Amino acid sequence: MSRFIARRLLIALFQLLGLVLLVFFAMRILPADPVARLVGMNATRDAYLASQHALGLDRPIWVQLGSYLGVLPGSHGLLEGDLGTSWVSGSSVASELRHRLPVTIELISISFVLAFLISVPLGMLCAIRPGGVADSATFAYSLFAGSQPVFWWGLLFIYIFFGQLGWAPPPLGRLNPMSTPPPFVTGFISVDSLLAENMGAFWDGLHHLMLPVATQAFVLTGPIIKMVRQNMVRVLGADYVLYARASGLAPSRIAGVALKNALAPALTLLGVLYGYILGGAVLIETVFSLPGIGQYAVQSVLDFDYPAIEGVVLVIAAISLFVYLALDVVHAVLDPRLAA
Amino acid sequence: MSEALEFAGAGTGGDARARFRQPMPDLLFRLGLGVVMLSMVLMLIGPWLAPYDIGRPSEEIGQPPPALAAVPGLLVDVVTGETHPSIHWFGTDDSGLDVFSRVLAAPRTDVVIAVGANVVSLVLGSLLGLLGGAGRPWMAGLVMRVSDLVQAFPVFITGMILVTLAGRSNTTIILTLALLYTPIYVRLTRAEVLTQRQRGFVDAARALGKSEAAIALRHVLPNALAPSLIQASVTIGFAILLTAGLSFVGAGVRPPTPEWGLMIAAGADQMVQGEWWPSLFPGLAISLTVFGYAAFGNGLERRYAA
Repeated sequence: MSRFIARRLLIALFQLLGLVLLVFFAMRILPADPVARLVGMNATRDAYLASQHALGLDRPIWVQLGSYLGVLPGSHGLLEGDLGTSWVSGSSVASELRHRLPVTIELISISFVLAFLISVPLGMLCAIRPGGVADSATFAYSLFAGSQPVFWWGLLFIYIFFGQLGWAPPPLGRLNPMSTPPPFVTGFISVDSLLAENMGAFWDGLHHLMLPVATQAFVLTGPIIKMVRQNMVRVLGADYVLYARASGLAPSRIAGVALKNALAPALTLLGVLYGYILGGAVLIETVFSLPGIGQYAVQSVLDFDYPAIEGVVLVIAAISLFVYLALDVVHAVLDPRLAA
Repeated sequence: MSEALEFAGAGTGGDARARFRQPMPDLLFRLGLGVVMLSMVLMLIGPWLAPYDIGRPSEEIGQPPPALAAVPGLLVDVVTGETHPSIHWFGTDDSGLDVFSRVLAAPRTDVVIAVGANVVSLVLGSLLGLLGGAGRPWMAGLVMRVSDLVQAFPVFITGMILVTLAGRSNTTIILTLALLYTPIYVRLTRAEVLTQRQRGFVDAARALGKSEAAIALRHVLPNALAPSLIQASVTIGFAILLTAGLSFVGAGVRPPTPEWGLMIAAGADQMVQGEWWPSLFPGLAISLTVFGYAAFGNGLERRYAA
């Protein structure tokens, strides 16, 4: 088992290194001029050169890479966990991400749990009678939900639940702008507000998450239902289910046993989905003005803020790889044949 | 053997696949086919069907669409040739552009990008997949590792970075999406190539003395394309979603091009304030189109698998 984890970790590390190098070179090969973007169109040649020098972009590309990685003497870099300094705000990318990431993780994780809780019973319902009315309807729903523009549904929900019904707060961030946020400990508003015993902020935070989570969870139910259904249909056709049925076990007991076996292979796909949504959180964060990593990514891309872009890609890829790995480990624990 | 099959059938309620052949998926498949055909037609002639100039604003700013009750009457008027000076079926946006015209004209951007990206990645991906399945071991290994690496990138953010830094244009979006989707086709083709290589016709061609390269290209590849072609329908839908998403956050097509994602973004503030039509209709178009492509692809998959 530990060899399995070690091997996977090593592969993940190489993948991350490959990603860093690819992003680093891609940004310098593509015909974009970050210096011109920073100093503006009307800057003098001297100002341009000074800015270029200040950013270190006048150095040879290998020196830039060396100092980014932190292998040059006297430079702090990636190998020490230093993601560099934002060219626009001047503050450390790592600390900016530290504040942004929890917002996104909180949003995505709650949406995932909610989507999962909705999808598993629906997927099972389909699998118990494949081809039945419930199956056809749920199948059409999952195909529909899985192919929807999440940003448009967010706007639609805002129009209905904020504009018309007034149930939701205005889509302007994580908390009511007039209230004082709880002190930053973990960055997760729900956790921090509980730690500060600030129940007002806790409920306000959940209230602000209502629509973004509903939107994200709606879109997520599509692929998850499909996945649960497929695996359930496969498992219900297995010999041990037939045996259980022949032994006269109640259908609900059989379904329970089958579910456990159906969910194990589904874990891998959940991991892939989590990584995908983490990168795609941009859209929902833009619609609801949530200060998460997605908004940070858009801003840094539009500003040509290279260190920030590198940081975002690296952190998102690292989290995705870590989630795959963790789920593979869980999967291998459930099914020891895989680790062999 | 047949006894065992029958027995298994009794337990599970028949072969699950046979049971898929139900009216509902068939209806979905037809709906999907209709949407796919409509989107292709609009891609070709959409801008010419637009009743208003898609780039020139009219005097009416932020005009709502006609009330639902008035629509049948207006339709009759149009058919009988009675002209109204200003029917904006979907209303006008806050700069006075006709929403209906722009929704019709947008496939020229959205669908062209989505289809273009998938054609490029399908060609590239199946050739690389052939190499990954039938090439020399070191080459196959290299193709698969690179393909893994590309898939490890977060799709949306990578798309944003590449499109923005390479200069926002339709060509860069097509190439970026093609890069991101190629690994999907590499994987599908490779898996199918590995199966097809075991078939008798490969041995027969080899016995006739054909070279390995000729066998791979002429015999294995055409037989290994079906899964990729089916996947293409679903992926074209997702490419439309991605294109619209990129444009929505400002990292895709440039305004004022008629494009669904841009139109939704332009109407977003009004939507919050209660003017629903500038964003609603382009969003409906995306929703229906992507769903249609997914349903079509899914129907194909069932037919092919059955």
